[in-house]
Amino acid sequence: MPNQTNILVVDDDRTIRDGCSRILSKSGWTILTAENGQKGLDQIQTLQREIDVVLLDLMMPGLSGMEVLEQSLRMVPDLLVIVITGYATVESAVEAMKRGAYDFVPKPFTPDQLRIVVKRALERRSLQKEAEFLRKEREKSLRDIATEKSKIKTIMNSMGDGVLVCDQDGSIVLTNPAANRMLRLSEDDLLGKLLTEAHLPPELADAILKSLKTRESAFTSISQELSLGAAEEVHLRAHTAPVRNDVGEIMGAVTVLQDISYLKEIDKMKSEFVAMVTHELRAPIAAVEQQLTVILNKMAGEVTEKQEQLLSRAKERTKGLLDLIKDLLDLSKIEAGKMVQYKEPLSLQEVIQRVVELMRVEAEHKKIDLQFSASPETPLIHADRNSMEGIFTNLISNAIKYTPEKGKVWVALSEERGFVKASVSDTGIGIEEENLSRIFDKFFRVKTKETRQIIGTGLGLSIVKSIVAAHLGTISVESKAGTGTTFTILLPKESVSQLSE
Amino acid sequence: MAKKILIVDDDPDLVEAVTMILESKKYTVAAAYGGIEGLQKAKSEKPDLIVLDVMMPDKDGYAVCKELKSDPNLGKIPILLLTAVVSKISTTRYTQQMGMETEADDYIDKPVEPEVLVKRIEALLAK
Repeated sequence: MPNQTNILVVDDDRTIRDGCSRILSKSGWTILTAENGQKGLDQIQTLQREIDVVLLDLMMPGLSGMEVLEQSLRMVPDLLVIVITGYATVESAVEAMKRGAYDFVPKPFTPDQLRIVVKRALERRSLQKEAEFLRKEREKSLRDIATEKSKIKTIMNSMGDGVLVCDQDGSIVLTNPAANRMLRLSEDDLLGKLLTEAHLPPELADAILKSLKTRESAFTSISQELSLGAAEEVHLRAHTAPVRNDVGEIMGAVTVLQDISYLKEIDKMKSEFVAMVTHELRAPIAAVEQQLTVILNKMAGEVTEKQEQLLSRAKERTKGLLDLIKDLLDLSKIEAGKMVQYKEPLSLQEVIQRVVELMRVEAEHKKIDLQFSASPETPLIHADRNSMEGIFTNLISNAIKYTPEKGKVWVALSEERGFVKASVSDTGIGIEEENLSRIFDKFFRVKTKETRQIIGTGLGLSIVKSIVAAHLGTISVESKAGTGTTFTILLPKESVSQLSE
Repeated sequence: MAKKILIVDDDPDLVEAVTMILESKKYTVAAAYGGIEGLQKAKSEKPDLIVLDVMMPDKDGYAVCKELKSDPNLGKIPILLLTAVVSKISTTRYTQQMGMETEADDYIDKPVEPEVLVKRIEALLAK
C-alpha cells in the first residue's frame, strides 16, 4: 500500500474506534484498528513505516497507552502518535508528549477537532516522507559513486600499462600498481608528492611539467623513452598528455607508461645477430680475396691474360662484398650503441687533417685537387674520435668517387653560433633533386649512367647520419646535378653538448 | 741468412696464401694454426717477426701478444697484427671497444696486398 494513507486507531472503546473510522475514512484515509495495546503494537511491528499516524488511547486495560507509546517509538522512532486523553487531563497529555507523542486530542472530541489534529500530523508525515526520500536518493547516488570509483580502481589496478596522474600544480594524485612497479617506487613515494620531489626519472618529470605548461589548445602529447636501473636494463616508453576542462584550461596531466624492455632486448639481439653473421661472412671472403691476390700476383705460377682479367673482376666483387659487410658491421655497432661510446674533447681540425692526408693518395690517383681550410682557433667538440674519422673518410672518399678526374674537393671548418661547422664540397656529378631527400636512407643509391661503375653499399651516408645524430648534430646536403655537391655538418661545441648531456 | 717469419692464424687458407706471399720474397715461414700453438712455435722457432691473427677461437691475438711481450726472451720480436676487424684508417677502434690496449708493433687489415704486407714487414725488421 505505497500511496495510501494508513491511520491506526488503538482504543479499547469500540465506539471510539468506529467513530474514528467513520470520520477519518471520509477523507479517503485507510483506517486500521486495534482493540488493545498489544494488538496495536503487533500491527506497528508488521507494518512499520506504512503506518502514517497512530491514534492511541492512553487509558486501556492490559498494556497501558504510555507503554504502547514507548514500545512503538522504540520500533519506529519517528512514528507520529496522537494520544487520546480520556479525562482531558493536561498532565497525562504533557507526559505523553514528553515521551515522544506528536500531539494529543482530548476526549470527547468533535469530528472536526479529530480531522484537524490528524491532518496536521499527516502534513508532518509527508514532510518526513519527503526527507526520507531525499535521504535515500542521496544514499543511492553515493553508492553509485562508490561503485564507479571502485570500478575505475579495479580497471586501473588490472592494467598492464602504468598510469600516473598529476594535478595542475604538478602533484601526483593517482598511480596504479603497474606504474609503481615500472618506476620502482611505492605508492607512498608518489602519491601527494610533487613531480620534482618524487624521485622520478628526471626526463619523465620534465616531460610531464612541459605538458602541464602546454599553450596550444590542440591535442598534444609527449612521447619519450626512458632507461632505468643501475645498468639501464629497464626501458620505458612514456606518453604524457595534458587534461583540459570545458574552457580549455589545463587541469592536470595523464601519463601512460609501457615497459618496452623486451623490444629493446629483441633489437639488441638483432644487432648482435647481424654482427655475428657479418663476422662469419667476412672471414671466408677475406680468405678468398687473399687467395685471389696471391694468384693475381703470380705467386702460384703464371697467369694468362684472360685468367688475370677474370680473377681481377672476381676480386672487385669480393672487395665490394667486404665493404658491404664492414658497413653492416658499423651499422649494427651504431644500433647496438657501441660505436659512439668514447666521447672526449676533440679537435675536429686534427681529425680532418689526418683523414685528408690519408685520402690524398686516392685523390692524386684521379688528379683531383684536395684542399682543407680551417678558420683559426676552431673550438673543440665532444665526440668519439673513431666515429669522426669514419664520417669524414666516408664524405671525402664519396666526394673523390663521384668527382671526375681533374676536379676539386675541398673541406672547410669554421665556428658558427655555438656549433662547429664542417663542410665537404666537390665539383662532382651532383645529385638530382628528386634523390636528395633519400640519400641518407639505408641502402639507397643513385642509379645513373655515371654511378654504375662506382662500387658502393648504400650504407655510408646512413651511417654518417646516425653518427652525427648520436653527437647531437645535424647534417644537410646541397647539390646541383652536373655541378657539385656540398655536405654540411654542424656539431655542438664541447661545452654546449656537455650541458645537454 | 733469410729472416724467419711465424704466421699465426686459425684459417689454413689464409696461412697458405700469406705463406706464398712471404716465400716469394725469400722469407722462411713457420705456421701455427691457433693462439696456443702460436705461443709454442714462437718459443721453438725463434722467429724474427710474427704475423698474428686477432680472432682465434682458442686464444685471441691480443692475449697472445700480451704473453709474448711480457716474456723476457720473446718480448723483442716485432708483432704485426692481422685483423679483419680494424677498418682502413682507424686502427685502434677494435682495441678501444674491447677495452684492451695492445703492444703490437703494427696492424694490417686482411686481406692484404702483397706489396703492402712486405713493406710493413721490412719496416718492422729494419727497426
